Amino acid sequence: MSATIVPEAEAGAAAAIRRNFWRGVWRVMRRKPSRMAGALILAVFALMGILGPMLYPDPLPRDTSALYASPSLRHPFGTDFEGTDVLALVVTGTRYVLLTAVVTAVITVVVGAGVGLFAGFRRGRWDTVLMRFTDMKLTIPGLPLLLVLSTVWKFTAAVEMGLVLGLLGWGGVARAVRSQTLSLRERGFIEAARGLGLSTTHIVGRELLPGMAPYIAMNALIAVTGAVYAQVGLFFLGVLPFEANNWGVMLNLAVFGGGALTTTAALPYLLAPLLAILLLTLGIVLVVDAMDEIFNPRLREE
Amino acid sequence: MAVLLRRLAGHVARGFVMILVVTTISFLIIRSVPGDPLAARYQKLVEQGMAPDAAQRAVEALYGFTPKGGLWEQYLDYMGGLAHLDLGQSLSVPGAGVSTVLFSAAKWTVIPVLAGTLLSFLAGVVMGVYAAIKRTGVLGDLLAISGSLLHGVPQYVLALLLGAIFTTLVPILPAGGTADIMIDPGFTADYIGSLVQHATLPVVTYALAGYGGWILAMKSSVVTVLGDDFILAAELRGMKRSIIFRYVARNAILPLFTILALSLGLLFGGAIFIERIFNYPGLGLMLIDSVNNRDYSLMGGAFLLITTAIVVANIAADLLYTVIDPRVRSGGEAA
Amino acid sequence: MAPEQSPPGARIRGLTVVYRTPAGELPAVSGVDLDLAPGTITGVVGESGSGKSTLALALLNAVQPPGRIAAGSVEIDGLGDVVALGGEGLRRARGRHVGYVFQAAQNSLNPLKTVGKQVLDLGRSHGVEDVRGLLADARDLLGRMGLDGARVLDSYQHELSGGMRQRVGIMLALVLNARLVVLDEPTTALDMITQATILRIVREVHAERGLTTLVITHDLGVVAEVADRLAVMYGGRVAEQGPTREVLAGPRHPYTRGLLGAIPRLVGDIGEAHALPGRPPTLADIPADGCVFRERCPLRMDVCETGRPPVVVSGSRSAACHAVRDDDGDRPAVAAATGEDQA
Repeated sequence: MSATIVPEAEAGAAAAIRRNFWRGVWRVMRRKPSRMAGALILAVFALMGILGPMLYPDPLPRDTSALYASPSLRHPFGTDFEGTDVLALVVTGTRYVLLTAVVTAVITVVVGAGVGLFAGFRRGRWDTVLMRFTDMKLTIPGLPLLLVLSTVWKFTAAVEMGLVLGLLGWGGVARAVRSQTLSLRERGFIEAARGLGLSTTHIVGRELLPGMAPYIAMNALIAVTGAVYAQVGLFFLGVLPFEANNWGVMLNLAVFGGGALTTTAALPYLLAPLLAILLLTLGIVLVVDAMDEIFNPRLREE
Repeated sequence: MAVLLRRLAGHVARGFVMILVVTTISFLIIRSVPGDPLAARYQKLVEQGMAPDAAQRAVEALYGFTPKGGLWEQYLDYMGGLAHLDLGQSLSVPGAGVSTVLFSAAKWTVIPVLAGTLLSFLAGVVMGVYAAIKRTGVLGDLLAISGSLLHGVPQYVLALLLGAIFTTLVPILPAGGTADIMIDPGFTADYIGSLVQHATLPVVTYALAGYGGWILAMKSSVVTVLGDDFILAAELRGMKRSIIFRYVARNAILPLFTILALSLGLLFGGAIFIERIFNYPGLGLMLIDSVNNRDYSLMGGAFLLITTAIVVANIAADLLYTVIDPRVRSGGEAA
Repeated sequence: MAPEQSPPGARIRGLTVVYRTPAGELPAVSGVDLDLAPGTITGVVGESGSGKSTLALALLNAVQPPGRIAAGSVEIDGLGDVVALGGEGLRRARGRHVGYVFQAAQNSLNPLKTVGKQVLDLGRSHGVEDVRGLLADARDLLGRMGLDGARVLDSYQHELSGGMRQRVGIMLALVLNARLVVLDEPTTALDMITQATILRIVREVHAERGLTTLVITHDLGVVAEVADRLAVMYGGRVAEQGPTREVLAGPRHPYTRGLLGAIPRLVGDIGEAHALPGRPPTLADIPADGCVFRERCPLRMDVCETGRPPVVVSGSRSAACHAVRDDDGDRPAVAAATGEDQA
């Protein structure tokens, strides 16, 4: 069905539904100001990721007379071991972190939803095989596997890192989407659509996916969080070569190079990326909470 | 009983396949290391003047399988060794078998992680019930939000923050290690005190990291059970509050026991960040060291141990559920 | 067991139950008057959303939040006004004085405990000393209802069929010798044979133990089968009440007529059955003024928009409808003609 043959009235109705939806979003956001704050935090991080590296010269200037400088007006979070401004490091490091996270989320959602839909739609042998595979993936511990993988593959570029994390992380989404598909199936939804002579593409694309979209979107956000933690953690552990500016690298150098856990000199250097991670988590938690209420009408009435 | 056995058989079979897959992965990883370390080592030994036979035996001893023959032959050899629980020799710890190294590291992981998990479970369950009962009040909100945050924040952030506070800003706890090296190991008050002192930060971090998940899980479980018909029914039959509370608690905690069993599977692999940060010589730190030293046999062994623990925990969790839930026990439909 | 004393009666007066919603407090039951005469079975019939289940819960002062009893009283002989009760007194009244039987489809038993253990919990809650005697009573009651008492007491909920669960529910309501019993949808979700069995049991147990019984149902057939008196609820109000036989033989309220007209007969043309047009109101769209039934009423008049229908009483029957006095020539009760709080 192409958009041009949709009758005017239907298009109008769709627009109205969309307007109502946005009004609902607005209402939910307004009810708790913390949710607005969450959205704002995410927006600031996105801006930092896009524009951050343009704000500073490349490479970042070093002030060799001020190594591990204390916080000051000039350096709000002090400087690192070579005299580089810590705030600048955090801001320019955002791009790597967010880029990885986005790639991970896209892969998680596309592969997870694809496998889940396919398994739930086809059922039978395909379902069994795919779900056994998914179970297995869910059982293998992620971090140890990443550590082992890091010995054979240097996934240091943001996109590669996202690819690895995404391919390791789609199991949960696949399970959830499959059970959603199956439950719609049980309610005779798919049979009814078939009976109306709708094609499989239409059923999946127009009927099934929109219903699950909120759910998938939430999982995508959660995948983003997971990806941020995993990549920062991997760089922090120091098993990957340091290539780009990255919060994990900063943590590693602060703790294992600067001795932030024994002397106070490197503390600001340690706390700045930690603060960034905490803020990003807070933003995501708050937005997920808002999405929960927007998409789950049962929660709306308290 | 028959149901139990049938379930057990199914699980063991699946677990076996799982372990087979994991060992195959670690074999392939060792094999696909750039430059084939086996061949390189063999080559090197021969060049050093060792007889080809002796060189092959030496490499075999190191890696646990022979570098000669096709990939398939090597694979069978490797698996054959595993069947005898022979994980090969460690490359980075000279003269030590992989199993010995793993065993000595395991105690530094298992005990703190177990303590941390149980601590967080108890605290989380109690506070979860409270958060569910007070869910409309400010306190309930606060408990839930703090739970979400603690659950959402990665372990290493917690560990670093706690470390920065208690070892740098207010240096009351040691920054790393298992005990003060100046104190002779032994069954003395000094040594044990030092052990406890050094274990405090890792255990507390582990407990805090787990607590958020438990409080959230328990809260949602209690809220679900509170909405169940049989609770209203018990109320309408005039049951005492204490009895109703027990009904709620028992039904709500049931699914959590399964999660507890599953989380115990993470005993061996769950503390990588914490051990790295507090320099605690458990399995996690050992895995990182083996990765950094490219000690493939040790790495493979550790990975295998960590995964096996998870598989076993999965089986245990399911069996546990069978034992504590009468609905599953009798094989009836889960109502 | 021979009734030593006459069973308790209950009088509901002006009962109003409201639910707190984002749109304010909306009434689920408004101004209901209903008498449960001692020793009778009263049936309350209504579609879902008619407020009948809320009414049943109000009888035990057990309306669940966000609902609350906003006005009215529920006088039960030997207990006084239940609405005024609270705390321990209310808890002891539940189960001891008033037995409540849950809908069969609902799981009213703790899934992790055997029925016997739950009987013991019940005994402990109400300070029963003779635990053995209690279990023996439970076993006898179950046996009376055609079950293997000892086995059922040893069973978990999931091991029992729907009909068995329902009988266990009745046993739990009666085992403490409650003489006033509320049955909420006793036959819903049961097959036809089991339905008939349960209804027979309800009748027989009612007679043997000398009970006062209230049956809540959406099924007119159930009421016709067991009830002495019948009250038809719509939109939170009693539309019509009276002796079952008389109401079914000559319904006065247009809603009762519609309900009866919608039942297909075994003999005769199926086309004679006419479904009521429209849908019952939900909490949010119950009209605040006038008659709640007017949207679906074939006899709708102008006055229905504004005036609350008067309760027209004749003998032991009453109906709340503007059209009734015109139709039947019955004179409305003088006070009810204007009475806002009488319906």
